[in-house]
Amino acid sequence: MPPARAVAASRPRLTAWRDWRSWPDSLANLWRRSLRFRTILVTLALTALAILVACIWMALAVQNNLFQDRKDQVLADSRRATDAAQATLDAAAVQGDSIQIQNLWRGVQDTLAEQSASDMIAAFRIDRSPSQLAPQNFNTLGLTEEVISVGMREAVQSDPEQQWWQSVALDRADVQVPGIIVGQQLQVPDFGGYELYLAYDLGSASQTLGFVQATLWIVGISLVLLIGAISWFVLRSVTIPIGEAADTSAKLASGELGVRLPVRGEDELATLGRSFNAMADSIESQIKELADLSLVQQRFVSDVSHELRTPLTTIRLAADMINDQRADFDPATARAAELLNAQVQRFETLLTDLLEISRYDAGSVQLELEPTSLAHLAEDVIGSMHQLAEQHGTDIRFVAPGGYSPVEMDPRRVRRVVRNLLGNAIEHGEGRPIVITVDSDQQAVAIGVRDFGLGMKPEDVERVFDRFWRADPSRTRTIGGTGLGLSIALGDARLHGGELAVWSDPGRGSNFVLTLPRQGGRLTTPSPIPADPGEDSIAGVDDLGLTQPIEVLTLDSSTDAATSRGAS
Amino acid sequence: MTSRILVVDDDTALAEMIGIVLRTEGFETVFCADGSKAVDIWRTERPDLILLDLMLPGMDGIEICNRVRAESGVPIIMLTARTDTADVVKGLESGADDYIVKPFNPKELVARIRTRLRPAAQSVNETLRIGDLTVDVAAHEVRRDDAPIALTPLEFELLVALASKPQQVFSREMLLEQVWGYHYKADTRLVNVHVQRLRAKVELDPDNPKIVTTVRGVGYRAGAVV
Repeated sequence: MPPARAVAASRPRLTAWRDWRSWPDSLANLWRRSLRFRTILVTLALTALAILVACIWMALAVQNNLFQDRKDQVLADSRRATDAAQATLDAAAVQGDSIQIQNLWRGVQDTLAEQSASDMIAAFRIDRSPSQLAPQNFNTLGLTEEVISVGMREAVQSDPEQQWWQSVALDRADVQVPGIIVGQQLQVPDFGGYELYLAYDLGSASQTLGFVQATLWIVGISLVLLIGAISWFVLRSVTIPIGEAADTSAKLASGELGVRLPVRGEDELATLGRSFNAMADSIESQIKELADLSLVQQRFVSDVSHELRTPLTTIRLAADMINDQRADFDPATARAAELLNAQVQRFETLLTDLLEISRYDAGSVQLELEPTSLAHLAEDVIGSMHQLAEQHGTDIRFVAPGGYSPVEMDPRRVRRVVRNLLGNAIEHGEGRPIVITVDSDQQAVAIGVRDFGLGMKPEDVERVFDRFWRADPSRTRTIGGTGLGLSIALGDARLHGGELAVWSDPGRGSNFVLTLPRQGGRLTTPSPIPADPGEDSIAGVDDLGLTQPIEVLTLDSSTDAATSRGAS
Repeated sequence: MTSRILVVDDDTALAEMIGIVLRTEGFETVFCADGSKAVDIWRTERPDLILLDLMLPGMDGIEICNRVRAESGVPIIMLTARTDTADVVKGLESGADDYIVKPFNPKELVARIRTRLRPAAQSVNETLRIGDLTVDVAAHEVRRDDAPIALTPLEFELLVALASKPQQVFSREMLLEQVWGYHYKADTRLVNVHVQRLRAKVELDPDNPKIVTTVRGVGYRAGAVV
C-alpha cells in the first residue's frame, strides 16, 4: 500500500485531470512557466512538420515510381500480345470462309490471352457497317464499352499504330480496384481495324503502396515520439540544474548565505555554478564583514559605556560625599561641589542614554509588557514634572477623552517617552500653556504633547529625531537633556510597533504624538490624535478650563466620563 | 557591634571610595582586589556581608559566589556594570542576595547593605507551619520531620514572609518591598530566582512545589499546612 502522503498528493492531480475545462489555462500556465514544456512542444511541432513533409514526399515518390514501372510493364505486355495477335492474323489466309474466320478470331483471342498478363480483353470493330462475315466484337470479365471512355476510343480509332493508355477504376468481384486500360488497333485482313483493349489490374501495386505508406507513417510517428522523449531527457539534464540554481538563488536572497550550487564537470552549467558560488561567497563575506563591523561598533559603544561606569561610580560617590558636606565650605567651593554633583548626574544620564541607543543599534532591547492605562501614566508623569513646569511658569493642561483602559505596553519606556516629550515642551514652550491629550480608538491609544512655543522650521522638523541634534545651538539649555531623548523615544515607539509623529510651525509651537497599537502588531489606521493640530490657538486652551467636562465622542468603552482635567 | 564588610573589587579607587563611604556610616571594611584570593580572605575574615564585583581578575564573581554559598549563607550583594546581560541572573542564580548597578549613589548602597544586615524582623518567639515544614523563627531554623534544612538568611526571610500570612497571595512587588527593602519598582527577577533557589532546598519535588506555590499572574503563596 502506498504511503498516505502519496495518495493525498495524487488526488488533486486526478481531479485536475478530470476537470477538462481548466486544461487550456493549465497548459497556458505550463507554456509560460516551464522552459522544458515549451521547448519540447516547439521541438515536437517542428519535427512533426519536417517528418510529415518527408513522409508525404516519399509516399508520392514511391507511388509514382510503382505506377510508372507497372505502366511500362503493362504497355510492353500489351504491345507483345497485340503484335502476336497481329502476326496470327497476318499469317492466316482466309478467303471469306466464315468458319475459318471464326476459327482464326478464336485463335487471335487465345493468343491474346496467352501472350498478355491481362484477363480483361475487349475488341470492337471500328467500321460499323454491317457485315455477315466480320468477326464478332468480344469482351471478357466485364470490360464493356461503358468502362472505356469515349475520348480513349476516339484516340484509338484515329491512329492505327499508336498505343494508348488510361487509368481507370475496375470492377473486380464488386470491388473497385485501380487499373490501366491499354488500347490500340488490330488489323484484321478484309475487315479493317478493330479496337483492342487490354485492362490490367493494379491491385497488387496499390497494396504494396499501402504497405509502404503505412510503414512510413508508423516510422514517422515513432520518430516524432522518440525525438520528443530524447529532447525531454536532454532538457531534463539542463533544466534541473537551472531549477536548482533558481532555488539556491531564492534561498540566498532570503538570507541563507551558506547555500551553494553543486559543481559537476567543466561545462557551461558548471561555469554557472562556479560563478554563482563565487558571487555567493563574495556576498556572504561582505555581509559578514558589514555585520562584524557594525557589531564591533556596537560592542565598542557598549564597552565604553560600561568601562566608564566604574570610574563614574567612584566620582559619583565622592561628589555625593563632598556635596553632603558643602555647608562646611566657603560659598565658592560649596557651589563647585553642587555643580560637580549635578554634572556627574547629567553625565550619568548621558551614559545611560548612550547605552540605551547602543542596545537599539544592536537590536537587543526586550519590551517588558504589562497592561497599563496610558491616561493614568500621563497623569503620573505630569505629577512628577509639576515642579519643573512651575519653575518655568508653564501651565500644563490635561485632556483625556479616552485611553483609560489598560493596553499592553512597557510602562517604563512609555513613561520615559512622555517625560521626554513633556520636558522638551516645557523647555521650548516659552512659558505658555502645554496641552497633553490622551485618546484612543479601537486600534490604538495615543498621547499628544502640544506646546505653543517658538516652533521649528520644516527642515528642522525633519532632523528632530537625529542623535545629538538641537534646533538652535545658540539657545541655552535649562533642562539637562542629552540630545538623545527623542531618538530613544522614537526607538521606544517603534519597538512597541507604534509611531512618534511630529508637527511644528514656527510661531505656533509644536505637537508630538505618540501612538501605540492596542493588540501589539503594527499600526494600520491613523492615530486617534492627528499630529497636525489644525487651527488651534493659545486662546482655545483657556476654553478648556481646568475642571470643566468636555463632550467628546469616543469609541473607548471604558471611558464613561469624558473629562478634562487640569494637572496642576 | 559594628558590621564587617568585605569589598571585592579590582578597581582600587572605587574600593577605597566605597570604604570611605562605609566607614562614614560606621561599618568596618576589608578589601580584596584579586578574585582568586577572595574566598580565602572571606574564610579568615568572616565578614558579615560581601560586596562583590562580577568582573574580576583571577576568579569571576559568579564562581566566588558559588564557592562562598557552598559553605555559608552570608549576605552577598553584587556590583555590576551591566544590567541587560545574563550576568545578573547568573549571579543571582549562583546565590547573590541582591545587586546594585553602577553607577550608584552612597545612600542607595548603604540602604541595600543595611537591609541585608538588619536582624530578622520577627524576633518574637514563634513557630510557623508551612506545608510539612516547621519554621522556628527565633532559632532561625527550618525543619522537616526534625531534619533541619539549611537556608541562607534571605531565603529564611522569604519563607517566613510567606508563612506568616498563609492566606495572603504575595505579589513580586510586595516581596521585593518586604524582603529586599525596595520601596520602588525593582527587578522582579530577584524574586523569581530566589524562589527557585528556595524551592530547590525545601520542596520534595521542585517541579511540583507544595511549600511555595505559584499563583499565576499574581505571585506566590504559602502552601497549605499538612
